[in-house]
Amino acid sequence: MSYINAGYSIALTVLSAYAGQLWWRRRRLERLAARVDPDANR
Amino acid sequence: MTRPVASSKRSTRLVRIIGVVAVVSLAATVWLGLWVTPPDKTQGQLVRLVYIHPPIAWVALYLAFGTAALGSVLWLWPRTRSRFWDRLAASAMEVGVVFTALTLVTGAIWGRPTWGVWWAWDARLTSTALLLVLQLGYLALRRVPGDADARARRCAVGAVIAGVDVPIVHFSVDWWKTLHQGATVLNPDLTPTIHGIMAWTLLLGFVALTLVFVWMLMVRYRIQVLSEVLEGAELEMALHERWAEGAPPDGHGATDAGPVAVVDEETPAQVGSRARGEQPAELVP
Repeated sequence: MSYINAGYSIALTVLSAYAGQLWWRRRRLERLAARVDPDANR
Repeated sequence: MTRPVASSKRSTRLVRIIGVVAVVSLAATVWLGLWVTPPDKTQGQLVRLVYIHPPIAWVALYLAFGTAALGSVLWLWPRTRSRFWDRLAASAMEVGVVFTALTLVTGAIWGRPTWGVWWAWDARLTSTALLLVLQLGYLALRRVPGDADARARRCAVGAVIAGVDVPIVHFSVDWWKTLHQGATVLNPDLTPTIHGIMAWTLLLGFVALTLVFVWMLMVRYRIQVLSEVLEGAELEMALHERWAEGAPPDGHGATDAGPVAVVDEETPAQVGSRARGEQPAELVP
């Protein structure tokens, strides 16, 4: 079972970490864009 | 000032819906794969890794690389050339790197107890590893500074050349005698050799990972748009600051109307460079 647990854990951790990083990057850029042009995200 | 491309409420809601459905379907796949499905007659408990490994490989090889290759071809084709295709290809390639790396890792974790080795220089494994190297090469190519059009062109050409590896990966198990088994679902006869709850769990895995990919692609595309817009705005602000600094003491150039005096002194080459978004040589610190 350890191989199965390792496989699922690694896959889900990497996908979650990348998804979280994408979400954070987008939020940071949205804020910067709003600072450059306040009407950008209306 | 360049106006950032605003995301509509509809697209934001669509991204959220896809994200929620992806998480729910992925959770259902994990639940079915780990606790509901029975062990396999031949593979035993290790069959549970099959519910995630082929769906991850499907996204890496066909969806991500397919999208990147399609975007690159449509960028290179003069009639369909649009910044959209270049952004789509770049976004799909970055997401694809994550899935290709996971394909290799989950495959190795399955291979160790099944074959007795973490890695073998098998045709399927080697061609997939080559694909990862090519994808990383594409991302490195995108970071080379320069004109946006030239960068898009060389990256598109790189993606199309790298795309030759995709059919090699797919048909490697048929063309050579490999350690990796042949296709279980998409075999030449299209007769899946898996059935019942195991087949449905595998199918759900494909749907879940596809939705995860679509969500990631949409968010990554938005990041690409915002990065390009901010890059342009940053350059524009830097140019204005330098023009203001370089304005003569009598007030020319530092007016609200913009740096008229300095712009008037530009040579045609400098104007062309500025139009292409390049930083003038004299402004480079």
